[in-house]
Amino acid sequence: MGSSVTDELDRLIHERVRLGIVSALAADESLSFGDLKKILSATDGNLSVHARKLEEAGYIKATKGFADRKPKTEFRLTTKGRRALENYLDQMEAILSVARDALERA
Amino acid sequence: MTIPTHEDQQQAQETLAYIRRTMESASTFTAVSGWGLVGVGLVGLLAAWLASSGGTPSDLRVWIPAAVLSVTLALAANAYKASRLRVPVWSGAVRKMVWVMTPAIAAGAILTFALHDAGVAQLLPGTWLALYGAGVSAGGTFSVRAIRAMGITFLLLGATALLRPDLGLALLAVGFGGVHLGIGLDLVWRHGG
Repeated sequence: MGSSVTDELDRLIHERVRLGIVSALAADESLSFGDLKKILSATDGNLSVHARKLEEAGYIKATKGFADRKPKTEFRLTTKGRRALENYLDQMEAILSVARDALERA
Repeated sequence: MTIPTHEDQQQAQETLAYIRRTMESASTFTAVSGWGLVGVGLVGLLAAWLASSGGTPSDLRVWIPAAVLSVTLALAANAYKASRLRVPVWSGAVRKMVWVMTPAIAAGAILTFALHDAGVAQLLPGTWLALYGAGVSAGGTFSVRAIRAMGITFLLLGATALLRPDLGLALLAVGFGGVHLGIGLDLVWRHGG
């Protein structure tokens, strides 16, 4: 992508893995790093990088702890993150709606 | 808004489909209802108490109705959770879970009658716990870590009950009662009911 329409989108969650993280957390209150890895079929490195970006932006909250003496990270979507996803969905729907109107007028 | 190109429109459709798929996948990943497991745990405790009162730890007149009631409760609770999350009840993940759990559960049902007829009913608690554990740990591959942990716990309880049949009833109460209650409450707290 890269047209003027998509340039208006929230680049932070437009990226596929980050959009996946935010979408998964919107459906489920809390997911561990391992759960997200399975749902998104992502590698450790890829998931870490994107999760950190979302965390830095305040879209998700990570809680580090231990389970069976192994480090465990749980993620939750913040209010800011949920609002960002809702805005993004509105933008996607607007693209489809504008395109549909243009098609009807043609 | 700038008029979107045909490519923009296609991308938007694909993106919305991706969001829907991911949300479905995340929801079905935790489609096991915590409240359902809590109900199953209570049935397990009640069955253990009834079996203890009757003096027969593996009394089939108690445990078969308890198993039927537990399955009904779990199915109803899972269906309710799926409808609340607006995801399909019979999704890909749930189908896979049921398929991989069925052989172990079926083996448990067959062995129940075989062991009972052979007069070695004292091995039934261990057999039930171990085979249920085998089924759940296999099915748990498609669900959250708590479900896999529950399966392994049942396997260990089953192994203990097979080595120490005198502890069978207590281990049934711990497994079908306590473990279901504990994991159920964990799912309620961490995965929305």
